[in-house]
Amino acid sequence: MSTVVASAAIARRQRRLSRGALAGRAGMWVVLLAALILSVAPGVYMLSVSFMDNPQLFAGRLVPWPPHAENYPRAWVASNIGRLYWNSIYVSTVSMIATLAISALAGYGLGRIRFAGRSIVYGIVLIGLTIPLQIALIPLFMNLRTLGLLNTRFALIGPYTGFGLAFGTFIMKGFFEGLPRELEEAARLDGAGELGIFARVMLPLTRPALATVAIFLFLQNWNEFLFALTFITEGRMRTLPTGIYALLSSEFYGNYPILAASLVLFSVPVLLLYFVFQQQFVEGLTAGALKH
Amino acid sequence: MLSLAARRSWRRHATGYAFAGPALVILAAFLVYPIGYSVWLSFHEWDGYTPSWGPFVGLENYRALIADEVFWRATLNSVVFVAVRTPLEVGIGFLLALLLNRRLAARSLLRTLFFVPVVMSLIVVTLIFQRVFEPNTGLLNTFLRAVGLGAWAHPWLGDPATALPAVIAVSVWKNVGFSLVILLAGLQSLPQDVVEAARVDGANAWQLTLRVITPLMRPILALTALLSIIGGLKVFDLVFIMTRGGPTYSTEVLATMLYREAFELNHMGIASAVAVILVALVLSIARVQTFVLNESRQGGRA
Repeated sequence: MSTVVASAAIARRQRRLSRGALAGRAGMWVVLLAALILSVAPGVYMLSVSFMDNPQLFAGRLVPWPPHAENYPRAWVASNIGRLYWNSIYVSTVSMIATLAISALAGYGLGRIRFAGRSIVYGIVLIGLTIPLQIALIPLFMNLRTLGLLNTRFALIGPYTGFGLAFGTFIMKGFFEGLPRELEEAARLDGAGELGIFARVMLPLTRPALATVAIFLFLQNWNEFLFALTFITEGRMRTLPTGIYALLSSEFYGNYPILAASLVLFSVPVLLLYFVFQQQFVEGLTAGALKH
Repeated sequence: MLSLAARRSWRRHATGYAFAGPALVILAAFLVYPIGYSVWLSFHEWDGYTPSWGPFVGLENYRALIADEVFWRATLNSVVFVAVRTPLEVGIGFLLALLLNRRLAARSLLRTLFFVPVVMSLIVVTLIFQRVFEPNTGLLNTFLRAVGLGAWAHPWLGDPATALPAVIAVSVWKNVGFSLVILLAGLQSLPQDVVEAARVDGANAWQLTLRVITPLMRPILALTALLSIIGGLKVFDLVFIMTRGGPTYSTEVLATMLYREAFELNHMGIASAVAVILVALVLSIARVQTFVLNESRQGGRA
């Protein structure tokens, strides 16, 4: 009865407001379209410039016609991008796997075992979650230099593993904590040891969390700039971000289309992955914020 | 001799450390040790080249910073950066989240596309916008001239008055999608009965948004703002690639100052002091974050 009255009231109001509602809807679409254009335009512009030559670019063209696809092979050679890809994939993946393994262990320990000093360890993890990594820049540089490790892959793999760890442990701990006690007890009755429970019973259940952490870590490592800039000073071991940055001070300075083509080559794999695994990307990148 | 119970609890502590141990060792090496190192180095003078650190100078580096105009410039710029960027990021993000939080054609497609800047690498974003802001043939000035606003064309990054606003604009562009997604998730987790009740009581869309939804969203808005503040204080890549802190320090922030002092001027002690100040700043903001989160948890929802 009351529902009928209420919905009739709503219907009446909607009719009364229909003109205002129409204006509201139009306004809404204007805002959304403006936001859409602003979000996408810079990327499209980069793509477009990557097919121009300098005269077209300087004439202020938007459409690259006739297109200069030869920018791509030139960019490939100029920035030695095959090498950069390999370095980036190597460094990002190895650090990601190392962090994932260590933080799964730590997440299990912190989330499911009540040991003395647990809250201190977790406190360090929480500090690691917010602290600016600039604090470690000078100490790491000095120690890597002393150990003769500057310009090696370890100079990035070590710090990346270390700085992903706080995030990984934080997420994994939260996830392990939420798993039901019964599973563990059942496995214990079957005679499984702690490691067996972790590896065979619990870990397989955390696959979604592992995926979230993996994506976050991989992207963070893939895009990292400051450490890569400071710890790798020679071309051979550079990763994509600093390798492309180095183009700015090379003979290709001023040849923006070549640079744009490199940027496209750098962005395309990640963007493709994003469009395929959207949900996981969004979760991975916002997990730190939402899972508090 | 240990009792059974004591032996068991000892075993439990040992197991705990067996699991958390590797993480603890690595965190100690990459987090705890560098913090200690930086704090200690900030009390010394060192050019970074002599095998051992220079003399212990106490608080001299901090005193030098306080007397240094560039340091205050960088601090002010960091504060302005955050003070402008955060309201814009959260405000625009909230507006878009509100618009997307309804039955809408192409809603998930829009969300996907709004999030693209977040996924893009900062160096890519920065180099694109450098081109957009380029004075002679850049996209922005070309556009302004084309629509008859040529008088507004401007060397955006070359003029100390507009360089910082331009950098902030790029930062907002890059991060709005992040706020949007968090706030949209927040909107979708609001108690629907309360919103529905207000609607039935005859609240129109404005009233609903301002009087019902926004107060309910306050904890999540605060969280988003704090994340944006912390992210803003740490900003490095964007400024470094785009302007290197120039022209004439007009975009210098604490992180770029740290890098310059350390690796261009070889003032390791002073650079470490900047790092310590930056960390103190970020951690004190993070304290506020914990506080706000506890508040919101006591509020029950969110």
